[in-house]
Amino acid sequence: MFDEPFRWMEAISTRHNYVQEKLKKGQPVLAVPYKDGALVMGFAAQPGKIFEVYDRIALGSLGHPADVERLRMTLLDMAHVEGFNRSDKDVTIARLLQFGIAPAMKQNFEEVMRAPYLVKLLLAEIDFDNKPLFFRLNYDGHWEMFKKGAVISGNEKESDWIQKQIEKTDFASLSLEQALKEACRLWEEGKKQGSAESEDDDEQPTTLAEAFDRWTLEAAVLSTETERKALYRAVTLDEIETLKSAAK
Amino acid sequence: MSDTTDHYNNGSGDFIDLLERSGYSWPKAIAGLTPVDKASLTQGTTVLAFHFKGGALVAGDRRATAGNSIMYDRCDKVIAIDHYSLMAIAGVPATAFEMARILSHNFEYYRRSQLQSLSTEGKIRALSKLLKDNMGLAMQGVGAVSPIFASYDKKEAKPYIFFYDILGAQFEIQTHTATGSGSPVIRGILEYEDLWGEQRLAERDFKQAAKLAIRLLQTAGQFDSATGQARPEDKIYPVIASITDQGYQFMPEEELAVLFQESTQRK
Repeated sequence: MFDEPFRWMEAISTRHNYVQEKLKKGQPVLAVPYKDGALVMGFAAQPGKIFEVYDRIALGSLGHPADVERLRMTLLDMAHVEGFNRSDKDVTIARLLQFGIAPAMKQNFEEVMRAPYLVKLLLAEIDFDNKPLFFRLNYDGHWEMFKKGAVISGNEKESDWIQKQIEKTDFASLSLEQALKEACRLWEEGKKQGSAESEDDDEQPTTLAEAFDRWTLEAAVLSTETERKALYRAVTLDEIETLKSAAK
Repeated sequence: MSDTTDHYNNGSGDFIDLLERSGYSWPKAIAGLTPVDKASLTQGTTVLAFHFKGGALVAGDRRATAGNSIMYDRCDKVIAIDHYSLMAIAGVPATAFEMARILSHNFEYYRRSQLQSLSTEGKIRALSKLLKDNMGLAMQGVGAVSPIFASYDKKEAKPYIFFYDILGAQFEIQTHTATGSGSPVIRGILEYEDLWGEQRLAERDFKQAAKLAIRLLQTAGQFDSATGQARPEDKIYPVIASITDQGYQFMPEEELAVLFQESTQRK
C-alpha cells in the first residue's frame, strides 16, 4: 500500500488534514508570564484543559479528552519517576519532551495505520532561576519553546494572531490580575480575528461576556510567591469573579 | 505511545505501583544475614508532636548518631510530605528518608493524577503499608523506623497526629506523642504539662507551643546522648514546624534564634 514514497507522503498529508479538521474547534489556551510566575488560562464548555504536571510544570491542552488524558498521565508518570530516582531539579519540560513524549508522538503520527493523537499541548515551567518558559507540542511531535508566552488553538488564524500579540505584550511586568485581564482580552480579540475561518460561529461564544456566561474559565498559575515546592495553584473563584464582573 | 512508555499509564494514582513497574523494589530482608551490631548504625533521636490551638506542632532535634559516635548535628528529622502533612522520623535514617521521599511522591502523584487529594485516612494507611513492607529489615535490626505523622484534614477542618510502631501499627494521638531514644525523658513532662500546666497543650498558641518544644528537646538532650541540644553559636536549632488549615509551616531560623533565647532563660 505504501510501497511508493508518494503514497506514504499522501497518507501523511491526509492524516494532517484529518487531525486538523478534528481539532479545528479546539478553543485557545494561553500561557503567559506575569510578575510572580506564569499563568495558563482558557475557556471551555467542559472543564479539563489545565493541569498540574509536577512541582514547577503546568499543562494546557486541547483536543480529544482521552488523548489529552493519556499524554497527561505519561507526562505525570515520567516526571514523578524521574523526580524520585534523580531530583526535582532534573524534571524539566525540555527533557520530558525531547527524550520522552515528542519522539513517541512523531512515531505514532507517522505510523499511518494507527489512530493519531488528536491533541495539542501547551506547557509552562518556572525554572530554578524563577524564569518562566513555555512550550508548544503539536500532535505530530513537533515542539517549540517560547520565552514570552505561547498559545494553542484549533484555529490557526486565531492562534497566529494571539501569538503575535503575546510577543508584543510585556506580560512579565503585569500583576496576576492584569495578566489575566490582558490574556482574556487577547482571547476575545483572537476569536474575532479567527472568526472568518470558523464555520460555526453561532455555536461558540465570541465575546468574553458570552464565554463567561456559557463556559468555564479555567486558569492556574505557577507562582514564585509560595514557599512550597509545588508552585501550581488554580486561580480562585474570587479572582475570576472580579474579571467576570468587569467583562459584563 | 511508544514501547518506552508502555509500562506507564495504569491510572490508579498509586506511585509505589508505578515505581515498581519502572524497576524499583523496596529492599527485602537479607537471607542468612548475621545479626547486625546495632551500635554501628546511625540512629537515636527525639521527635515529638502535640496538638496546639489551631493545629499540630511537630519538632525534632538535629543529631544523628552511630552507637556512641555523633555522626551529624544538622539532620532535619521533620519532613514536609505534602502541603498538609509532616512526618517526624526516628530510627534508621536511610530507611526513614526513603520512606519520606516515597510518601511525598505518592501523595503528590495521587493528587495530580486523580485531580483530588488523597484522604487523610489514605495518607495514614500509606505510611503504615510502607512500614509493613519494611518488616523484614526492621526485624533484622537494620532498618527499623518509628515515625510520627501529622496531617491537617481540610474537609473535617481538623489536625491529626499518629504514631506508628516499627511494624506499621498506627495509633491516633489526642494530645501528645514522642518517639526516639530521648522520648522517655520528655513523655512525662508532656503529660504533666497537659494535665497540670498553666493551660492544656491544645489551648496553647503556637508561640507557647514552640517554647515548650524547645525546652523539651533541650531536656531530652541533657539526658540522652543521642539527642542533640541546640548550639546557638553554630546556628544549630531544633526543627519546629506546624500544620494548620494553611498547610505546613517551618519556623524560620531567625525566629527560632530569638525564641530559643527567650525559652531558655530562667524567669
